[in-house]
Amino acid sequence: MFFRMIKGTFIHQWKKMLMIALTVALGTSIATAMLNVMLDVGDKINAELKTYGANINVVSKSAAIVSSLYETDEATDAYLQENVTGELLTIFWANNILDFAPFLDGQVKLDGTDQKVTGTWFHYHLSFRKKGSDYIRDTGINNLRDWWEIVDGERYDEQADFYKDAGDLFAMVGENVAEKKNLKAGDEITLTGKTTEVVKVVGVFSSGDNEDDVIYLPLSTAQRLTGKADLIQSISVSALTSPEDETSQKVAKNPELARPEDYELWYCTAYVSSICHQIQEAIPTSSASAIRRVADSEGDILNKTELLMTLITVLSLIGSALAISNLVTSSVMERSQELGLMKAIGAKNVRIAGLVLTEILLVALVGAVSGYFIGFGFAQIIGHTVFGASIDMKGMVAFLVAVLIFAVTLIGSLPAIRNILRLRPSEVLHGR
Amino acid sequence: MIKNKKRLMFFKMISLSLLRRRSRMIVALLAIVVGATVLAGLVTIYYDVPRQMSESMRSYGANMIFTPDGTDSLTDEMIERALSYIPARDLDGYTPYRYENTTINKNPVTFAGVDFDGVKKTAPYWNVDGAYPTRDGEVLIGANVAKTFNLGVGDKTVAVSSIEITEDVDESLIPDYEIIEIDGVKSADHELPIKVVGIIQTGSSEEDYVYLSYSDVEYLTAKHRGYDLVEVSVNSTGGLESYTTSISNGVEGLRAKLIKHVAASESAVLTKLTSLIFIVTAVVLLLTMICVATTMTAVIAERRKEIGLRKALGASNLSVVGEFLGEGLLLGGVGGILGSVLGYVFAEIVSKNVFGGSITFLWWLIPVTIIASVAVTGIACLIPIRSAVDVDPALVLKGE
Repeated sequence: MFFRMIKGTFIHQWKKMLMIALTVALGTSIATAMLNVMLDVGDKINAELKTYGANINVVSKSAAIVSSLYETDEATDAYLQENVTGELLTIFWANNILDFAPFLDGQVKLDGTDQKVTGTWFHYHLSFRKKGSDYIRDTGINNLRDWWEIVDGERYDEQADFYKDAGDLFAMVGENVAEKKNLKAGDEITLTGKTTEVVKVVGVFSSGDNEDDVIYLPLSTAQRLTGKADLIQSISVSALTSPEDETSQKVAKNPELARPEDYELWYCTAYVSSICHQIQEAIPTSSASAIRRVADSEGDILNKTELLMTLITVLSLIGSALAISNLVTSSVMERSQELGLMKAIGAKNVRIAGLVLTEILLVALVGAVSGYFIGFGFAQIIGHTVFGASIDMKGMVAFLVAVLIFAVTLIGSLPAIRNILRLRPSEVLHGR
Repeated sequence: MIKNKKRLMFFKMISLSLLRRRSRMIVALLAIVVGATVLAGLVTIYYDVPRQMSESMRSYGANMIFTPDGTDSLTDEMIERALSYIPARDLDGYTPYRYENTTINKNPVTFAGVDFDGVKKTAPYWNVDGAYPTRDGEVLIGANVAKTFNLGVGDKTVAVSSIEITEDVDESLIPDYEIIEIDGVKSADHELPIKVVGIIQTGSSEEDYVYLSYSDVEYLTAKHRGYDLVEVSVNSTGGLESYTTSISNGVEGLRAKLIKHVAASESAVLTKLTSLIFIVTAVVLLLTMICVATTMTAVIAERRKEIGLRKALGASNLSVVGEFLGEGLLLGGVGGILGSVLGYVFAEIVSKNVFGGSITFLWWLIPVTIIASVAVTGIACLIPIRSAVDVDPALVLKGE
């Protein structure tokens, strides 16, 4: 009988039920879309912020003290071995390291005047073998110097077919150098250091800072010119990080003295300080430090964006919760006559309440399931139009939305049900 | 007279209907207020957030630099002319730098003369252990310099600059120094006692310099000279390129350049964020409006019986529609007003919490919110009323 009555409601009042289902679906879709976007926006903005370039700088431990103050210093311990670079791929947060490149600076003569050159990887295929596992990564400054504007020619790319077989005698020239020496793509220049190399200018770039005064060479060419075989000066690392908080700063100052549980949490979170710590563990001769300008601002912007999205999400959640409970209230109220009749012919309050609740929750379930998928669609539309990537759907959101919708529907029906229980059948049937 | 009476009756009916059916009308009003709040709140945020975000992006520091172009250095007058191209409200701060090579303990160090108030704006990311200098003779040193010379906060040392006596040296600044002449070149060792008040950590090249005031640099080198570089921090949601071209063309001997990696990433992040808020606002608004409409529809639909009764008493279709619409529009208006106030309050809360500043009040949003909620309510009412008036009153009253 119970089920027949419910079935009856759905058949005779399908329009009203459809309306409730529709509203629940809309509310659910807002909640699903907003929660998913909110939870994913941090990662997405973080990836966007990576255009600011590297946020970690790795140098040799002794170089950190000697620094560039003594440019004449020839001690080899101020340098890192080139082959330690691959160790970066072995750390705990290796997957968060997006790009990295080694650098080696040197002074050479170009047309009789001093010229600063920097050797690096442009687009390098790194394969590193440690303890039987292979680590492979394509990396280099073509990603790290995303903002370089190529004024003339193209970016050098050691992986490109043409350059692969052509050796390493190529150069990317900063705008100011090109202007001074009147260079353009295709020109050949003679650089004299410990050896003399004739390199071909592949492209001219503009960066807007002091890199415009530098000639960038493939690392091996720079190593020959400076006579520092297999050595590098620094490694720039661009890593996805979480914003630092008070605890992380405290632990980072003195990891050995921190409480074990704090240390554990810090080590297993992608703070810039813990990644630096892990790099130093992997390369014992190195000193890794955060580039504050990038690391601090990133944390700041990330926190703000996440907070902003959270508040907007809260508003839309409140909005959809109110809309759903509103409609549920009004739709139950308008059935007072029918429910009054039930009372008049002897139905118990509990049974009536049970009947109404079951109906509403059934409708809400249908609405919520379809709403979840609509919300999924909206989240993906937002992801693709804004970030050009899909939004990760988290299982937690489905659970959260289910609880939320259930609670909202239930709360929405409560005042209406209380009203019904107070009804006097005779009055209702009389039409008052 | 009759017309007046009719109008009076109309308002009486509407207001009485709203009062008597209090609980249901509260439901409808609540729906409209929520919709209007979402509209007003999100649109305010959408308009103001790019500006506020651009301001907090300034924590990256300077995004533009001025360098000499064909001249030896930049004068105050040139810098002032260049800055006049940037609207005052967009100019966050600027710092001219004057670099000089000197020595500490016979080792070469680069000294940079700066204005420390300007630095706080253009390089907010400096992590200073200690304090910023406040008087002459006090300096900030980079972390690398501190390690090399084993200097800490509060330590004192002496900077020595070897000055070659040429025409541009102001000899009044070196009155009692011993002038040595070798091979016809006259020079003097000029000393400046300095006190370290702070150590800077930035993770980049700033750690290799010593920063001090312009007057100290002038005293140390005994030369009056302009600046080598000016860092400028400009708030912008785009259009930085046009500033640099007009400044470079307009001021002779000065070249403005964008620090590309700061400027480019800023505009990338801002564009993404703006379009994110735009599309979120659009989606949420659309869904909320539909929710408001369905609630209104439900509220009206249950009054079919009343409509039937009125028709049976001889009311024309038009007057029934007019009355119900009037009721809906009144609700829409009241909801719109409440919603625009609540929306502003919400936007203000967001702004305070996220950016720590006040939000710009958009006065035009009030009429827009009211009109939008009236329109949505009106349309939402019209559909069920239309279908109700088309029905035969006898059928409705009988309850079919």
